[in-house]
Amino acid sequence: MSKLATWARLKSPWVLHFNSGACNACDIEVVALLTPRYDVERFGIKLEPSPRHADVLLTTGAVTKQCAERLKRIYEQMPEPKFVVAIGACACSGGVFKGNYNVMDGVDKIIPVNAYIPGCPPKPEAIIDGIVKLLNSAKEAKPNGKK
Amino acid sequence: MVLDLWFVFRVLVFPGFTFLFFFTMFCDWVERKIEARMQNRVGPNFTGPAGILQPFADIVKLLTKEDIVPRGAKKTVFKIAPILSFSIIVFALSFLPIDGAAAIPNSSFAGDLIFVMALITIANFFLFLSGWASANPYGDIGAARVLTQFLGYDIPLFLLALAPAFLAGSLTISAIVANQYLPFVLLAPWAFVLFIIALQAELEKDPFDIPHAESEVVGGLETEFCGGKLAFLRLTRDTQIVFGAALVVELFLGGPSGPVFFGLPAFWYFLWFVLKLLAVVVITEYVTCLFARLRIDQVLTANWKVILPLSVLSLTLTIAAATWIYPLVV
Amino acid sequence: MGASLQIQPAHLGKASIQVKADSNRDVLKLLLETDKSAGIVALTGLDMGEKIGLMYHIRTNGAIVTIRTEVPKENPKIPTITDLIQGAQFHEREVADLFGVIFEGHPNPARLVLPDDWPENLYPLRKDAKIDDVTVKTENPKNQAETAQAQSDGDIVNIIIGPQHPALLEPEKFSLKVDGEIVKHVEPRIGYVHRGVEKAAEQRTYLQDVYLVERICGICNACHAACFVETVEKIMGVDVPLRGQYLRTIILELNRLHSHLLLLGHAGLEIGYETLFQYMWRDREPVLNLTELLTGNRIIASAMTIGGVRRDLKETDIPKIKTQLVTLKKKMDFYHQIFESEPSLKMRTKNVGTLSKEDALKLCVVGPVARGSGVAIDVRKDEPYEAYGEIPFNLITRTEGDSWARLMVRLDEVTESINIIDYALDHMPQGPFRIKVPRVVTAGEAINHVEAPRGELFYYVKSNGTAYPERVKVRTPTFANIPSFIKIAEGGNIADVPPSFVSLDPCFSCTDR
Repeated sequence: MSKLATWARLKSPWVLHFNSGACNACDIEVVALLTPRYDVERFGIKLEPSPRHADVLLTTGAVTKQCAERLKRIYEQMPEPKFVVAIGACACSGGVFKGNYNVMDGVDKIIPVNAYIPGCPPKPEAIIDGIVKLLNSAKEAKPNGKK
Repeated sequence: MVLDLWFVFRVLVFPGFTFLFFFTMFCDWVERKIEARMQNRVGPNFTGPAGILQPFADIVKLLTKEDIVPRGAKKTVFKIAPILSFSIIVFALSFLPIDGAAAIPNSSFAGDLIFVMALITIANFFLFLSGWASANPYGDIGAARVLTQFLGYDIPLFLLALAPAFLAGSLTISAIVANQYLPFVLLAPWAFVLFIIALQAELEKDPFDIPHAESEVVGGLETEFCGGKLAFLRLTRDTQIVFGAALVVELFLGGPSGPVFFGLPAFWYFLWFVLKLLAVVVITEYVTCLFARLRIDQVLTANWKVILPLSVLSLTLTIAAATWIYPLVV
Repeated sequence: MGASLQIQPAHLGKASIQVKADSNRDVLKLLLETDKSAGIVALTGLDMGEKIGLMYHIRTNGAIVTIRTEVPKENPKIPTITDLIQGAQFHEREVADLFGVIFEGHPNPARLVLPDDWPENLYPLRKDAKIDDVTVKTENPKNQAETAQAQSDGDIVNIIIGPQHPALLEPEKFSLKVDGEIVKHVEPRIGYVHRGVEKAAEQRTYLQDVYLVERICGICNACHAACFVETVEKIMGVDVPLRGQYLRTIILELNRLHSHLLLLGHAGLEIGYETLFQYMWRDREPVLNLTELLTGNRIIASAMTIGGVRRDLKETDIPKIKTQLVTLKKKMDFYHQIFESEPSLKMRTKNVGTLSKEDALKLCVVGPVARGSGVAIDVRKDEPYEAYGEIPFNLITRTEGDSWARLMVRLDEVTESINIIDYALDHMPQGPFRIKVPRVVTAGEAINHVEAPRGELFYYVKSNGTAYPERVKVRTPTFANIPSFIKIAEGGNIADVPPSFVSLDPCFSCTDR
């Protein structure tokens, strides 16, 4: 039964996209994934509007101080099992804005991250590669949290 | 009572619950593929051959997720309403003849057309309740929109359904099916076209898809639901589409009737039913992809000022045609 | 101030007047008498040690006039000008937030770009601000209570859109007061994408700053880079060779193409027209391919440098670019037809979010928002930069002022951009594409503006002869257009808010910097 569950989780990862203070370049590459050239619906990935519906949180941006609290709340609203992907140099470590006064320097200062996709912005192929690697690694390991 | 194995089989397996469950998922796959192709994309492709298992994977994944009930929600309603709305629609579907007879054997009775449409209204009311019980402003707005749209369009839908009822001289679905020597789409094409339009509104598909307008109400009534309850809400929506299409097939396209070539007639009836139903699903999905979303006040204006008068007109036209013209021709 | 003021359109940036702090209103009144449609471009604050300098950059008669004044740091008070020029509201709030200047008489002096829980009396853009140990809370009980229920008082319900919302690609918060389905008031709270770029620019060298300002906004990145390097080139008195100018023009127009196509697709998404969204973005991919061909990057071009561009264009690439543009032009005819004739699209955008011409002038909006309401301003025509002086093209305006008009302006501008790139490729001059510039930027200051896809982008750079700039001020087009959000949404349906907002093409990463 758990094999069926794992299969279903890997074949149907619903994503939620959150911009925590990014310049938009990574975000438009994420949205470009849904368009005909890349079409990630082939993998069962759907963009969901509400945190409660999503399995994977795609974050972009270097996390401004205002967004830090929101990011935490969204993460807590998502039901288990859940994954977090930090897309872009800013989400990984602050990028060009590292050290600025209003910036937290990366998503992993606020919530645990499962996958880092560097780039400024990473090409859509790189984002797909990162998500596929995440799903493959999820096959063996247990996602963060219970069960 | 003696446990009738035949009864149990028909209700639970075929053409009852299990069949309907998997058939709904199949229709969902058909819809997603059509939408993808219309948008120049491929759609689900890797889950099973040509992605056919994608809806199944979605439902299983939802069922295995953590269940969260928001602190301010009305707990009992929150937990029960999604399951109830799904069950009621499946129940309504079991009254429609699928392979020559309905899932519940010997279930047709005089007036079951009205009964079935009333059941759908109740199911949508439970959808409204689930949105209302979720203690979320977007849930409230989404639920209100579902109710407004549904109740509004129920009236013309009913009037339009009366056209084939009049042509067949009965309010029983199996009788309507049996009396269709010529599919009623040919005898009352205006009713057919209007029925499809009103159905788009009932099923909340573009251009009437405001209750699911992500850019305005986030998740609508589904916003706070996750896991198993969300699975039931999604299933409700998909099963409703199957129900709507099935109703069109029964009322206008002759139901499960068609040429029988060899072997078991029930098999052929079933095959024709499925083919006709898929044709209707394709038509509705095609229309969905072609249009943008109308505003709620535009939807309501369209209803009261356009669709409702036209439905009354359609009924009058059908009655006139049936009384004077068709006896001469048919 | 008895003498009358004579405003002569001088070359960009040279006209400036020094006045005393309490006469700023009088000077402005005189200016408005000579030119009723004068509008504010930007309000720059400058830390001058003992004083805080304020520069009001006003657009009048096609040129920018700067009114300079100063206030002492211990008592930074100055009368507001929001009653004279309505569009100055948000400019003054930003200077109040970042420099601590108090504008007496301002109607709504709340925080703009800094977080609500930022410590009082800590002004980041002052040179002596100690900003290294500001802690951040990850649990804010005030915010939680606010979004838990839609508060209602009487019939008015408070709905909060954002910061995480599918309609907005970026986090911002809009509080709407709604009565039934009609919107009564909109209060935008921006600052969620404030990364402190202006302060960071003072701590990086000029060349590092080119890469920094590019990332203020990923969508109009080339324009930020171009405007910044042009300003620095003005300070240094450097002239970019003609081939470099033409190459910059091509990259800027490719940037405009991808931005407009992105927005038109996004508009489709907001009105529920997913098919249009998918088609537009599919047709936008060739533009990104061309950008990659020219610069090596799909989105953030990183092509500009002080003195020219970084890479040359190969002669063999020119036919490739031209064939792609021909295909794109044909597709634009198809989209033009859709926008003109598709009924459900027109029902959602026609007469929705109308901005009249007077309001557009009063609120000092720029870009397609202004051009959609009949105001014919475009920096490429008003003060041509790069190669725009030599390339003929049409200025697109519409008079309806509704969301449909704004989208149509952008649609037609795509065709114009394609023509500009074509012309530039045909008339590409030979020669060097960049020149060597001295390592050290001479002391001085300059202002510059370019036409970004969303409107006029304005930069002010002050150099003090060291390796680091003393002040870099950025005024982005969306920042100038914020007042129009409030105006457009009020009185309309709540369902009209997403299409109206998207037709204004907001870019909040630009706004917050």
